[in-house]
Amino acid sequence: MELFIQVVVSGLLLGGVYALLSVGLTLIFGVVRIINFAHGELMMMAMYLTYWLFHVHHIDPYLSILIVAPALFLVGMGVQRFIIQPIFDSSALMKIFVTVGLFIALQNLALMLFKADFRTIQTSYSMATLDVAAISISVPRLVAFGFALGLLSGLYLLLKLTLVGKAMRAVAENRVVAQLMGIRVQRLYLITFGMGSALTGIAGALLLPFTYVFPTVGGIYTLLAFVVVVLGGLGNMAGAFLGGLFIGLVESFSGFYVSPALKEAVYFVIFILILLVRPQGLFGVGKGTEEVGLK
Amino acid sequence: MRLLQVDSLTRNFGGLTAVDDVSFEIRQGEIVGLIGPNGAGKTTVFNLISGLLDPSHGRIYLEGKEITPLKPYQKSLLGIGRTFQIVRPFDGMTVLENVMVPTLARHRDPRKARELAIGVLKDAGLEVDADANPQNLTYARRKRLEVARALATNPKLLLLDEVLAGLNSMEVSEALPLIRRIRERGVTIFMIEHIMAALMSVSDRVLVLEQGGLIAEGTPSEVTANPRVVKAYLGEEIFDAKS
Amino acid sequence: MRGRIPLLVVLAGLAVLPVFYSAPYFLHMVILIFFYIALTEAWNILALCGKVSLGHAAFFGLGAYTSAILCIKKGVVPWIGLFPALLVTFIGALALAIPLLRLRGPMFTLASIAYAEVLRRVAMVWRDLTAGAEGLTIPFTPGWENLTFTTKVPYYYIFLILAGGSVYIVHRLYHSATGHHLRAIASDEEAAQALGINTNKVQLVALFWSAGITGLLGVFYTQYVYMIEPEWAFSSTLFCLQPALNGIIGGLGTIWGPVVGSILMTPLGEYLRSYLGALQQGLNFFIYGLVLIGVVMVLPGGIISPLLPLLRRLISSKASTHAPKEGL
Repeated sequence: MELFIQVVVSGLLLGGVYALLSVGLTLIFGVVRIINFAHGELMMMAMYLTYWLFHVHHIDPYLSILIVAPALFLVGMGVQRFIIQPIFDSSALMKIFVTVGLFIALQNLALMLFKADFRTIQTSYSMATLDVAAISISVPRLVAFGFALGLLSGLYLLLKLTLVGKAMRAVAENRVVAQLMGIRVQRLYLITFGMGSALTGIAGALLLPFTYVFPTVGGIYTLLAFVVVVLGGLGNMAGAFLGGLFIGLVESFSGFYVSPALKEAVYFVIFILILLVRPQGLFGVGKGTEEVGLK
Repeated sequence: MRLLQVDSLTRNFGGLTAVDDVSFEIRQGEIVGLIGPNGAGKTTVFNLISGLLDPSHGRIYLEGKEITPLKPYQKSLLGIGRTFQIVRPFDGMTVLENVMVPTLARHRDPRKARELAIGVLKDAGLEVDADANPQNLTYARRKRLEVARALATNPKLLLLDEVLAGLNSMEVSEALPLIRRIRERGVTIFMIEHIMAALMSVSDRVLVLEQGGLIAEGTPSEVTANPRVVKAYLGEEIFDAKS
Repeated sequence: MRGRIPLLVVLAGLAVLPVFYSAPYFLHMVILIFFYIALTEAWNILALCGKVSLGHAAFFGLGAYTSAILCIKKGVVPWIGLFPALLVTFIGALALAIPLLRLRGPMFTLASIAYAEVLRRVAMVWRDLTAGAEGLTIPFTPGWENLTFTTKVPYYYIFLILAGGSVYIVHRLYHSATGHHLRAIASDEEAAQALGINTNKVQLVALFWSAGITGLLGVFYTQYVYMIEPEWAFSSTLFCLQPALNGIIGGLGTIWGPVVGSILMTPLGEYLRSYLGALQQGLNFFIYGLVLIGVVMVLPGGIISPLLPLLRRLISSKASTHAPKEGL
């Protein structure tokens, strides 16, 4: 029984970080309406940056978030401005290819710079655990979960209360009307892409203490983010959060009860099943999904 | 002879009833107009007949046989053709290729399909544009392509959705004889239109929809004199049609 | 027939090439080009209806493993083994059929990626069947009956036929009713349905051609390299991304685009891999990524698009309603 609870706790903690990664994706999708095949590369970049800051400059990963977040914000804005914006009016097909091109370029740039090695960081508290009853909770995972929760709450408040947040919701609802209301949509896209990327980057920094980074990790996280987002409902923030937790649990359970080699296979299968059976996700979609192919 | 029969056709979208218990029939060889204020449900009726939408209640019969559950492509193969309000030519394909799409669905031999398509283009006066990209045509000619493509399906019943919208008065007066010629070829026409004078001059009968329900039915003069219809439109267009 | 003469000359030239020049590395390069022409054309069939698959390795791997396992464990020669391999590939394609029909654009692409990923992991884990990461080795018993040879020349001809066959199939498909319908579906599926096209059936036909040719390529290519293991057989770079790259850079949805793309990209990749020493791992694909972004931004129709009007005028006849070779 304790083992079961252990697996659940582990899964939920992981799920919180996955939620952060996925909320980044769904935020960008909801506003900019782009399916970014290079989303996981943002995560990868953040992880390598965190690694470098730790190994060369001995900056604690949680502290390095202060550098990683703005860096990824800028990268996100750059992607939107130089890759997405120029082809914004092209067909959906072309948008797929351009982000796939970005994915290929970034993944292989990492391969060229860092080689194929698996890297992680070991801090003084990497192995620390908190023992509650008979359950052993890994401290880095707990910290990551805490951060994720805090950031997501912050995001929620931002969307609800601030002008920028409301503008984002307006554009997500109806781009044309938002423009007519005077919202400068292109600028908003830049901010949204930046924010979504920053959240994703923070997720990467939070994960590194207890997971590995390697050049092809981006592809896996991209797929994972999409699994979560589709599960929770494309464009649906709360859904992305709950979906993240759910996938964290699935990964934890399948890693333990099925096979570590197949843990991703399990949620990919869930992904395909959801797309077949309930493409609007468990919690229903936000707007604009017809453009990307969910009927 | 009854070509199309619609019985108690209803379509709900959540709480909204877009089409409310509508029943009518269309006889072979008629030109029937469908009018009504914006949002009355006219295009929804077309979508229901052509199969793009499934009705919440009601049945549709073509030549006496029920076709309600059939898919759009099956209804097309049985003889229901339609045009779309906002024209949808296939991009990446020439005008001729666009018209060949439906003929190829009915004739496996590409040469025969091609001949038929060229014939349709000639009838529609578009043969000079055969190799053109639809995006390069004038708006009026793109609308003609839309109709030509629908005609290439060899329909028994042709649903024209605001085929005159966006045309100037000269283009409208060119389009009306085309519509009459189509009927002379044996195609029954059911058309949604907002340009009242044109619609009234070409229709045998008119159906009036308001908020999803059929509120009047009759000849153009009967319908324009009907006070309910006048009220639904609040006047302006009906006065034009009368003159 | 006039327009066909240059093509026949090229084919004749290719047919006798090994007689004059048969350096192994050269032949290997050409075999690779032929292989990618065939694979890219197969991928292109699905791209014709607007569905970008980035999971074609699924079909390659299914075909490859079926034939290899039957050959190694049951002694079935690949000439016979290719039939069950095709069957398995088709069954595998069925699994992707519903996502194909229900999902558009990016969502289908994601599903295809996930599919190949699942199959790769399953192949890794199912050691009884596939020997997992250790892989399987095709026994070296040279002879036409075993589809195993000591020199590269027979492979050259096999892949030449596969490449030529694929181009021919795409050519026929493109000009057929199915080809027009696929292009219509790519543009506007609903409008196509309103014109009487059974869009589901048409797309399934495309899927089966696309998957079938890919599965077949899996069978033959495995016989060329003698080894099969999950990372390779279900490789996303080799069999998912590469054909997509070749196809887009060459010219999406055209008959000759995949040929142009493969001829350009294959030697480029090999060159980058062999001659750029320490930085090589990843450099070729890094450049590919940049090229892809560049092509989308600058030349979305691919390299072939500025050439199309010229080629058309070269081959076409006078009257405008006489269909010129618009299917380039």
